[in-house]
Amino acid sequence: MKNKLKVFRAMHNLTQEQLADKIGVSRQTVIAIESNKYLPSLGLAFKIARLFKVKVEDIFIREGKEDDNEN
Amino acid sequence: MNRKKHNQLRVVIAFFVSAIVALAVIRNSYLLAATGVLTGMVFMVLVRVKAKIRTDEREATVQEKAARMTYAIFAPTIGIAAFLLLLPSRGGISVFSKGEWMFTESLGMVFAYLTLFLITIYAISYHFFNKKFGGGGDEE
Repeated sequence: MKNKLKVFRAMHNLTQEQLADKIGVSRQTVIAIESNKYLPSLGLAFKIARLFKVKVEDIFIREGKEDDNEN
Repeated sequence: MNRKKHNQLRVVIAFFVSAIVALAVIRNSYLLAATGVLTGMVFMVLVRVKAKIRTDEREATVQEKAARMTYAIFAPTIGIAAFLLLLPSRGGISVFSKGEWMFTESLGMVFAYLTLFLITIYAISYHFFNKKFGGGGDEE
């Protein structure tokens, strides 16, 4: 799973800290998501998508096998 | 109060508790140590409530994985330790049944009960969370 969170954050002129505050997580979590080290929950993914007014699949892109469990 | 301020306050409280406990050790006072620790706990809770810190989902995932690994390592370790400590006395090896080796059987019993306690807690919490998250139902 890859994501374009960094791109969307830059497009909206948000710092990692500001984004973290808006979605109710720590800055470390934003860093971990951006660097593909942590896969967010469905709820958090929808929260991020709603914040940027896009679909979840516009930010999170599925790659590779369908049955792998990354977290 | 943001997360950074919250973390700074936690460090200050931890230093305060450490200082009080160190002082209590020097003065040989259990009451002072208990008071210091309890005060620290109350302050920690107050700071957390005031800061409105929510448990971050990544943090929760890390905690879950750490807890799972702790259980996976600790349960067999303590179980095997209990078995090894009880084996000599149950096996009729006389040297382990007297003198300074007497404590091994008691220690083995303590370890065995701790293992049982750990497994029981795990089984109860597993059953509880399995029900909470909809497991075990036959409905379609």
